[in-house]
Amino acid sequence: MEPMEIPVLKGGTKVATSRVFDRDPDTVPEEDLREAIWALGREGEWIVQPVPEPYYLAPTKYGRLKKIPLEHTWHHKSCGQCGHIPGYSTSIFWLNRLLGYDYFDPRDQTSCTAWNYYASATSNQVAQAAVAMRNFSAAYESGYFPMIHCGTSFGHYKEVRHELVHDAKLRRQVRAIMDKLGRPFVMPEEIVHYSEWMYAIRDELKNRVQYDLSNITATVHPACHYYKLQTGDAIYDPEIYGGQRTAAVTGVVQTLGATVADYSSWYDCCGFGFRHILVQRDFTRSFATLRKIEVMKEEANPDVVLTHDTGCVTSLDKSQFAAQAHNRNVGVPVMSESQFAAIAVGAHPFRVAQLHWHSVDYRPLLSKMGIDPEKAWMEFQGDLEQIKSGAMDYLTWEHVL
Amino acid sequence: MAGSDTVLIVGAGPGGIEAARGVADLGKRALLVETKGDIGGTPYEYYATLTPDLRETHEAMHEMVTAVKEHPLIDLRLNTRVVNSEGEIGHFKVTLQDESGSRTEEEVGAIVVATGFQHFDPGRETQMYGYYEYDDVLTLVDAEQMFKAGRIVRPSNGEVPERVAFIQCVGSRDRQIGNQWCSKVCCGIASKQSIEIKRMLPNAKVFIFYIDMRMYGFWEDMIYWKAQEEYKVNYIRGIVTEIIRKGDKLLIKGEDTTMGRPMEVLMDMVILSVGMEPSKGTLEMANIFNLPREEHGFIATKDGGPLDTVSTKVPGIFLAGAAAGPKDIEDTVSMGGAAAMKAVATLNRLALEVG
Amino acid sequence: MPSDRYLEVPLVEKQRLFDEVKADPRFHTYLYGCYECGICVAACPSARFYDFSPRKIAQAAAREDLELIYEQMNDDIWNCSQCFSCNRCPRQNSPGGLITIMREVAVKNGMRSMKEALAGYTRIIYKIMTTGTQVSPDMLQEDAFPDWGPQVKMVSDNLDLWRRALPPETLHTTGLSWQVEERTMQELYAIWKLTGTLDMISEVDEGLHDIMEEIMDDALEESGISVD
Ligand SMILES: Cc1cc2nc3c(=O)[nH]c(=O)nc-3n(C[C@H](O)[C@H](O)[C@H](O)COP(=O)(O)OP(=O)(O)OC[C@H]3O[C@@H](n4cnc5c(N)ncnc54)[C@H](O)[C@@H]3O)c2cc1C
Ligand code: SF4
Ligand code: SF4
Ligand code: SF4
Repeated sequence: MEPMEIPVLKGGTKVATSRVFDRDPDTVPEEDLREAIWALGREGEWIVQPVPEPYYLAPTKYGRLKKIPLEHTWHHKSCGQCGHIPGYSTSIFWLNRLLGYDYFDPRDQTSCTAWNYYASATSNQVAQAAVAMRNFSAAYESGYFPMIHCGTSFGHYKEVRHELVHDAKLRRQVRAIMDKLGRPFVMPEEIVHYSEWMYAIRDELKNRVQYDLSNITATVHPACHYYKLQTGDAIYDPEIYGGQRTAAVTGVVQTLGATVADYSSWYDCCGFGFRHILVQRDFTRSFATLRKIEVMKEEANPDVVLTHDTGCVTSLDKSQFAAQAHNRNVGVPVMSESQFAAIAVGAHPFRVAQLHWHSVDYRPLLSKMGIDPEKAWMEFQGDLEQIKSGAMDYLTWEHVL
Repeated sequence: MAGSDTVLIVGAGPGGIEAARGVADLGKRALLVETKGDIGGTPYEYYATLTPDLRETHEAMHEMVTAVKEHPLIDLRLNTRVVNSEGEIGHFKVTLQDESGSRTEEEVGAIVVATGFQHFDPGRETQMYGYYEYDDVLTLVDAEQMFKAGRIVRPSNGEVPERVAFIQCVGSRDRQIGNQWCSKVCCGIASKQSIEIKRMLPNAKVFIFYIDMRMYGFWEDMIYWKAQEEYKVNYIRGIVTEIIRKGDKLLIKGEDTTMGRPMEVLMDMVILSVGMEPSKGTLEMANIFNLPREEHGFIATKDGGPLDTVSTKVPGIFLAGAAAGPKDIEDTVSMGGAAAMKAVATLNRLALEVG
Repeated sequence: MPSDRYLEVPLVEKQRLFDEVKADPRFHTYLYGCYECGICVAACPSARFYDFSPRKIAQAAAREDLELIYEQMNDDIWNCSQCFSCNRCPRQNSPGGLITIMREVAVKNGMRSMKEALAGYTRIIYKIMTTGTQVSPDMLQEDAFPDWGPQVKMVSDNLDLWRRALPPETLHTTGLSWQVEERTMQELYAIWKLTGTLDMISEVDEGLHDIMEEIMDDALEESGISVD
């Protein structure tokens, strides 16, 4: 059963069949957890924080609609994004500001701590649920609605939510901890990932695109923890791969005018591994390059790899250096769709998207988009000089909008 | 008051046909109602040949189909559905509606529900099979259409496939989807189809990816051994989880559990062995006749046990065929006969009680 | 085939560990039964790189094969990437979830393999548990990430400056990912204490545990949050 060598066709998100899947609402498999959340709210088990208006209704895997708040969002930041790829979060905030949306960037927020949990298991079910509920209560008390930046936080919180809904003992245990902290016990009506918000605002962004993206080809890596945990709750759109794969990222990039190319290992994980990325990177490097980047290169030759999670950007970007040194077929810049979209609608590639934190050379991409990377870098150097000289304390929002 | 002397049979597939024929042969009037424009049910409409003997379906079923059409005691109503039912054993008052929307009311003494099954829709599959992405991914039903047309070609380009894979248990035995049963026939059907493919395309390589091969009784050597021994069909234990286009081929990914390693191979065509689910008509009849459904969603028999396969929980109403759960035709037809016998016995008993 | 790798470990010990795994409330939703279809293996990144199989994890647990489970807790579970691609199991098992539980038990029982797997990782435990953020900008050091190329050095050389050139005020940090309020950290410490998480660390690294306990106790005393 040896595979044969065959020519490669460029894919796309349009399906290669005229068959159309019509979902029969009678066959939707899972319970709608949101109903259970409201029911527990009515029974006084917890406070349900409703999604604030205005919201967008996005279709999910089984055809149910999910409320995505546009404004009044409490930004649950990501460790790896803020720490090592800060243009990721900065771009999300910048887009909020561009659209004039009210949002809140809290300090009363901890990590979901799931990266550590999935890496080392030095925690337990109750602790993980308590960390989640502490953050939710902080959001509730601020009057803003949680918007989760990290794919792993998003997936993990949905697991925690599922466990809390189904396990009264766990609810009691976690509630007792919240009582000790003097915190209310709150479950948000929906758990929302920022990439769903990106999907919700894609048409708003489309009208603001500054460059011709029609000759830009992107490959998308859907993040495992976004849609493989609690699968029913991820965004699926009949227009994208016939509604058979998640539409997060892809829907946005395509609306912006770029081409999304398919590749045969799209479902594979990025190789992050949680523990592996920190202390056993031979696994991460091999997987990220052999199973992902090289396959993308060979089958689609993209200008950029776009994804929607901390770990994926990190492993796909950083793993390429060593492979490049061995003359492997790699060398594609990697970023989040929030950075790509922000640049497309006019954000500065260094002041906002902060691409200098990324490894693989992104300058050819910028040039192809119609941006002069050297000029932009000099502008940013000018900012740095001002900070160094004390003329400016920090680069401020006023400076970058 | 003696009950009506008529038995209503809903659905004219193999189960309903055999029940109607049985009722009529036992001397009672059979009112046979079928929503479609012809009788014969799912096999007659879709399948080219029948398992296990590989006879052409229309030819094999010809005798039972004409028997029904010509029987003086069978009142066949095509393009008709049951829209309401009142009353009870001996005196059911059922409302029938034809295509034009006009309604008639009939009184019947007993009822046989034989409304069958539907094929699982691969759009609901939780594995990534791409049925709604690629034309070269087919179902067993699509493949039967090709056998009917007498040509096996890749729908995408009209070329003859060199490598064909079957994937078993699609939509069956799956807690994620909610179908926790084995559909009983698909292992046999896939094996039958692989024999047919090898007969038509002797140079093609045919693979069957499976969890367990389930071919009971005589299907074992008639189909399974035959495919494996005479036709050199490759049986590989391990299920495929992804199908993706690679160039102009399909790349399928699974584990070869014999080797214990992940496996990725190219195919020209993939056939999904879709399973059986209760048909919409079956669910509708469960509602109209107040028939409880068993835990998988099919119509429940009276005590769920093996000793009475046709009585429902409602006196005077009986079941035949796949409305009661996944069945092959052999079991379906046997149930049709048993249901006819019990329905006629019911009418007779009511007549005696009055006398 | 029963494992013959750890015959020196008495069966009762293996039973005790498995009982602990089974006692986790999530266990019954992570394992129903397994018919060895191999779907999890096909989806699993770690199975492509290591001699590792989520199918065998599920099978061993389903058969309650104590010898094999013990062997897996020693030799296999730390290979898993925790990506949960295996959640596609048609029986609705989560081999990855089983592994999460098995790891937790390995940590709590101070198993040798756990110490090996987490060697070099303990500084991260310290970071997440004491700051509430997992990785900080100042961890990007050339010697820690030699395989990531010269770009890491550029970041560390310019770290202070580059952090100041970030418009969101909360990101003006180098020792943690974003600014976390003191009260927030105290609450996190309370959670670690109240849930036994801090205790687990003493099995990983006694010294680390003691340092963190001191930090947390001091902070908690100041906070007025009771953790009794
Ligand atoms: C892919 C596949 C291939 C198969 N091939 C074989 C094979 O080769 N050999 C074999 O032994 N078995 C085979 N089977 C199984 C076989 O199809 C069933 O055993 C058989 O069709 C069951 O007969 P039935 O009469 O119960 O239902 P059906 O054949 O489904 O017939 C039901 C009839 O009821 C009608 N109906 C439905 N609802 C209503 C309503 N409300 N009112 C009136 N009429 C209604 C339908 O239109 C239909 O005509 C196969 C199954 C599958 C999935
Ligand atoms: S008959 Fe075979 S293919 Fe069909 S559900 Fe049963 S085991 Fe699976
Ligand atoms: S997918 Fe599930 S049933 Fe199949 S081998 Fe893996 S654990 Fe077992
Ligand atoms: S969670 Fe672990 S076992 Fe499951 S697919 Fe990922 S790496 Fe494999």
